[in-house]
Amino acid sequence: MNGSVNRATDWRVLTIIVLLAMFALAIGARLVQLQWIDRLAFSDRANRQRTFVESIAARPGDIVDRSGRLMATTISVRSLYAVPAHIVDITQFARDVAPRLNLDADRLAERLTLNRTKQFLWIKRRLTEQQAIDIRALEMPAESWGFRREFLRRYPQGRLAAHILGLRGIDGEGRGGVEQKLDGVLRGRDGERVLVRDARGRVIDVKTEADRPAEHGRTVVLSLDAVIQLYTERELDRVMEEWRPSSACAIVIDPATCDVLAMASRPAFDPNNPVDVLPAAWKNTAIASMYEPGSTFKPFIVAWAVDREIISRDETFNCERGAYRMGRRILHDHHPYGQLSVTDILVKSSNIGMAKIGERMTNRSLYEAAVTFGFGRRTGTELPGELTGVVRKLSKWNRYSTGSIPMGQELAVTPLQLITAHAALANGGKLLSPRLVLGDMEAMDEFGRRSSPTASAQVVTQTVGAETAAWIVAGPMRGVVQRGTGKKAQLPGFEVFGKSGTAQKHDPATGGYSSNRFVCSFVCGAPADNPRALVLVLVDEPTVGTSHYGGTVAAPAASRILEKTLLHLRVPSDASQPRTANRR
Amino acid sequence: MYFRFGSALVLVVLISLAGIALEKRNLELRRSVTRQRFRRDVLHDAHIRMRLETQRLGAPAQTIDALESGELRVEPQRKPIVENDRR
Repeated sequence: MNGSVNRATDWRVLTIIVLLAMFALAIGARLVQLQWIDRLAFSDRANRQRTFVESIAARPGDIVDRSGRLMATTISVRSLYAVPAHIVDITQFARDVAPRLNLDADRLAERLTLNRTKQFLWIKRRLTEQQAIDIRALEMPAESWGFRREFLRRYPQGRLAAHILGLRGIDGEGRGGVEQKLDGVLRGRDGERVLVRDARGRVIDVKTEADRPAEHGRTVVLSLDAVIQLYTERELDRVMEEWRPSSACAIVIDPATCDVLAMASRPAFDPNNPVDVLPAAWKNTAIASMYEPGSTFKPFIVAWAVDREIISRDETFNCERGAYRMGRRILHDHHPYGQLSVTDILVKSSNIGMAKIGERMTNRSLYEAAVTFGFGRRTGTELPGELTGVVRKLSKWNRYSTGSIPMGQELAVTPLQLITAHAALANGGKLLSPRLVLGDMEAMDEFGRRSSPTASAQVVTQTVGAETAAWIVAGPMRGVVQRGTGKKAQLPGFEVFGKSGTAQKHDPATGGYSSNRFVCSFVCGAPADNPRALVLVLVDEPTVGTSHYGGTVAAPAASRILEKTLLHLRVPSDASQPRTANRR
Repeated sequence: MYFRFGSALVLVVLISLAGIALEKRNLELRRSVTRQRFRRDVLHDAHIRMRLETQRLGAPAQTIDALESGELRVEPQRKPIVENDRR
């Protein structure tokens, strides 16, 4: 009896020992799994739960003009977000917030309801200081809303140079102009900060050793001069008011360096408030529109023909008293002329004289002239959206072209191409690529004198000889202003040279040239013996009045811009100082 | 034996206290650095806002009429702020 009881007890003890041993083994196995086999996975998971990476936004760089005047900068502002999941009364929240942010309360409530379960919803981005104060004054529950710092682009010069600068979108991406083209330089690179938080999500530490600081955007220096830009834009506004054209543009260039001192297009927009903008206002007419250049093209043909000794400077041409049959068509001049010298052909802008020079040159030589002066290809400016213009293949040219090309028809150019080519004539025949960006600086608060790779490369082509170029400028083009079609561009005290252009536009109804839609242009510069500034004004389809010629519509504005530019650049007039003192 | 045990205990406690003091000092310095960074950012923002305002007020559009009428003295034209001359 006693023995059977002992056996039963032993069996029970053994069972318990075995069970305990199995339990210990299971615990040990689990420990091995947790601490050894899955160690890395669990360690990663714990790290992920404990730490998170916060992005440090890079501040976009400034844009300044050649004298350091601020054209664009970035300020830090607050944006309001809500946590819809933590809002107790959505309707009340919307009623409180909406009027302070100029929002519609019903629409805000609808948005919040649609996103009821979300932890984050933008209410309004980039608040004004007053709006932020008003929201804070509401003293809403902290878990239901919050502010985030964001950058806001500001343009202290207002509408000035809007097409050149472009703007930045809601998420900070560059759109149009320098903002888009140099986005990589201006935008910088966002940094990172690793934060450690507790079980409730509160930040308890910052892992400074893992920080990657933000690289702020660089400051870009433009070749523009804000004062000349202002003069230019004021004159364009005056042209728009006086002639009511569909569009207009003006460019001012330093011919020696081909630095663009001013470039403006109308209609325009305000980059600080880009709402309700007409679609046409986004277009930078100076680079993104093409026109037949008309008579402003004639000096290139004459310069080429003289330089290649196809004609001589003192030669005369019979201008057939205003009517000349060329193949199947009859060419006309505005006034009947007889014998005209090469200079007078340009001064009087004789189409017949130019056609006769074209006949002497032949199509091949005309084509070479157009291409050498940079037409039919981009100038290489730093702005996006530049057009190439149109110069058809030589194989497609015919006898008609021989008469049309010398008078600036059958090809299309952008205003920037046109003034760049004229700058070549004013610069001893050297064609340079126009430059809008002088460089960038290392950091936005370091105003050291330093050039950088942002500056565009210089491309030089010798178009015609320096002597020919100087003769064209100081001879025929000076004559245009003295006694030709550009008399309205005369400036007291300065030897102004120039050339007017009046191009008929294509009429889709007839398939030919329109008799009442014109592109009026005028290019001028001074002083003639050492040009310091070159101005182009182009007016597309003026509608007021009947005298729509380059010399009447565009020349006065170009002359006024040139006068102000010369004064601003301290170019001494003939009366004030001997010009030899100013030679570069 | 009690003295040795007590000494060891005191030593351990002292080392722990020194460690805690160092850690607190470290945290204090880090907080100070963070505060200084924050202040620098605030001052930088203020500087940018003031620069923006001065540039807006002194923009050519605001001063050009006064310059042309002779109310303001005309400053001589400066060279470009970056040296990158093509001549």
